[in-house]
Amino acid sequence: MPYLSHLLNRQVKDSSDEKVGKLQDILVIPKSGEYPALEFLAILKAKSKDLIFIPYEYVETISREEITLKNLYNSVHVQERVAEGLVYLKKDVLDQQIVDIAGVRVVRVNDLRIGVVNDQMSVLGIDVGMGGILRRLGIDWLGKTGLLKVNLIDWRQTKFMHGLLKLDRAQQKLNKLHPADLANIVEDLNLRHGSKLVVSLDADSAARVLEEVDPNLQKVLVKYLGPEKVAEILTKMTDSEIVDLVKVLPRNEARLFLSQIKSGQLKKIEQLLSYPDNTAGGLMNVDFATVRPGWTIQEALKEVKNASPKLRSVLYVYVTDEDGYYHGKFSLRWLVISPPEMKIRDILKHYPHPQPLHPHQKIKDIAATMTKYNLLTAPVLDSKHRLLGIVTIDDVMSQLLPKA
Amino acid sequence: MQEKWRKLWLRIVFFVSVVGPGIISANADNDAGGITTYTYVGAHFGTKMLWVLLLVTISLAVTQEMGVRLGIVTRQGLGGIIRENFGIRWTTFAMVTMLVANVGTVIAEFAGIAAAFSIIGVSKYIAVPLAGLIIWFILYKGSFRTTQKIFLIFSAFYIVYIINGFVIKPDFGQAVSSLFIPQIEWTSPFLLTMIALIGTTITPWGQFFIQSYVVDKGLAIKHYRAERAEVFMGAFITDIVSFFIIICAAATLYKFGIQINDAGDAAIALRPLAGGMAQLLFAFGLFSASMLGAFILPTTTAYAFCEAFGWESGFNTTWKNGRAFYTIILGTIIISGLFVLIPHIPLVRVMILSQDLNGILLPFILIFVVKILNNKRIMGKHVNKPIGNIVSWLTIGGIIVATVALVISSILGLA
Repeated sequence: MPYLSHLLNRQVKDSSDEKVGKLQDILVIPKSGEYPALEFLAILKAKSKDLIFIPYEYVETISREEITLKNLYNSVHVQERVAEGLVYLKKDVLDQQIVDIAGVRVVRVNDLRIGVVNDQMSVLGIDVGMGGILRRLGIDWLGKTGLLKVNLIDWRQTKFMHGLLKLDRAQQKLNKLHPADLANIVEDLNLRHGSKLVVSLDADSAARVLEEVDPNLQKVLVKYLGPEKVAEILTKMTDSEIVDLVKVLPRNEARLFLSQIKSGQLKKIEQLLSYPDNTAGGLMNVDFATVRPGWTIQEALKEVKNASPKLRSVLYVYVTDEDGYYHGKFSLRWLVISPPEMKIRDILKHYPHPQPLHPHQKIKDIAATMTKYNLLTAPVLDSKHRLLGIVTIDDVMSQLLPKA
Repeated sequence: MQEKWRKLWLRIVFFVSVVGPGIISANADNDAGGITTYTYVGAHFGTKMLWVLLLVTISLAVTQEMGVRLGIVTRQGLGGIIRENFGIRWTTFAMVTMLVANVGTVIAEFAGIAAAFSIIGVSKYIAVPLAGLIIWFILYKGSFRTTQKIFLIFSAFYIVYIINGFVIKPDFGQAVSSLFIPQIEWTSPFLLTMIALIGTTITPWGQFFIQSYVVDKGLAIKHYRAERAEVFMGAFITDIVSFFIIICAAATLYKFGIQINDAGDAAIALRPLAGGMAQLLFAFGLFSASMLGAFILPTTTAYAFCEAFGWESGFNTTWKNGRAFYTIILGTIIISGLFVLIPHIPLVRVMILSQDLNGILLPFILIFVVKILNNKRIMGKHVNKPIGNIVSWLTIGGIIVATVALVISSILGLA
């Protein structure tokens, strides 16, 4: 089975052993989750130096020893141009950056492995190792010492950054990667490709990734995503995530960013923006499930179910009255085990009420309180005892250990 | 009126926000090799070579601007662009060229560290390994950017040369006329020094460095004009310093016929201002300039290599994944350090020759840069204008002619 580098610039001969020209490139049509079959050979004609395309069905053999056609050159249906959507293996793939989904990293294509699968000559794998580099330099005997392992990636496990392979299976796999891993990939890619990758994700994943990448890169990425994608991503972000993002943006970008937000939501966000980063107000998020003290467990359960799609996680249910005054909180566990007719008010009686936080409380203080009472979340109340938001333990952790 | 001030203020803020790449890159040109070469130029040839400095300043501004534009338009480093457009053979060629030039420069930085400590009587066998360890430790554990800034502030030491220049009161009229009247000697010492002068100012690594800096900073096309202004300013400031180093050396060392054999001789140029402190002051300046270069170069080399060959890079990768990255950094530091530790190696000569190596290899990298900047497919409407091409090709041609002349004059024994 040959490598692309073995084939390029090799003489192509027809069935009468007459020279046709030198192989310039090979064209494929990428399909989702398949090894793409070779479709055309691009050949630089021997005398006229014209570029011609020969459909792969005319090829008799293709190996590192020889490339021959089945017919006489005159009877081959030669094309001078090909349809759009074909990918040139040398021009578009070789030497470019690709995302190795299985390995969660960005690599460069050093060579391509070609071989037969389902009776068709296809591209099987991508050589990203040192062996590929040496082979292309014509010094692969150096690698034969056995010191260098061949490092092939399955073609189907990769994602090209040229926008040529759009929503294929690789794409779906990308969406399934953990946002933190995807963020690492985006950080490794050059900016142009990195922003393209984020654009190609569905809005939900894009929002998660944007949140995970390094703040410096966030700033730059937002600029390159364009207003449309930003608006789309915004709908998938919670208020406090939007606030975190706006905080790292330069003033002009921040204004542009906020202009995409509806006025009702905007007010809340501006309120959140007014608290410094290292205080309860800056850390808290405002997405949580609230129920009324007079409701039954059954009603509360229904409310949690309704609100759930908009919430990142539900650990506790918060109890406020119509005017937003805080009455207490209880865990999901109580919601599940209590009898359906039981009133929320009665549950709260059995539930301990640790000291709530106020918005200007400092991070050290918050961490101390949460550690002391073993809290996963803590409510933040204003001076009149109204519920403003909640601080979760991961918000505290990421403020204390920003590098992790 | 207030509106006007506000606008001015906004402009200043905008400018400050892009400051960095041009000034840092240009300033780092005044590294160990730089200070030594400029002093050497002044001490051995007086003001005769000032015209070369003027041309080199223009050329530095133009080539750095091209790096900025390339970074802004493509948003990737030079290594990656060469790989994607010239294939693997040319990439390997470009990378090996850069590696050789950069190892040469890192050797010069360590030689600078050794020379600086020799002035205060500390053995190089202690100073160099210690400096190597500190550099590695800070790169690996600490903040590269902060350290870079600290040494950049230290390099404000160069102002000393400017003040010194005014204290000496040299013949400024004559110096300025030397800027515009070319004088050349077709001898190998002259040509060798001239190539070093070019090679210490415009460098292969400088092209890689400014471009990746621009990309990392996320500058976009709207920043281009401000960034170009910064690059031009950087080139100008740097070479003002170079100008003063040369005339200080010319008015002291050259006047009394003192040839530079070790760093202590070079320090004499600072005597008019610093008197007995000249040695100590020079040692400090040389040390901080060397450290700045020794931080920037191994990392720049490693990033460029990894980008071109698709290896994982950055100090947050594990040793297993980032093997190539760490190997290049450690390799350059260790090899350069060991080279300088060879007993009795003439440190000044090593510094000058390493700048020659940079100068001779520079055209190869510049040819790649110019070719890419004229490629419409890559640059779109931001392709090079004729003036950029003319200056670049004149630089490339000038260095090649000087190199050929050097080879011929060496063979003919015109020394």
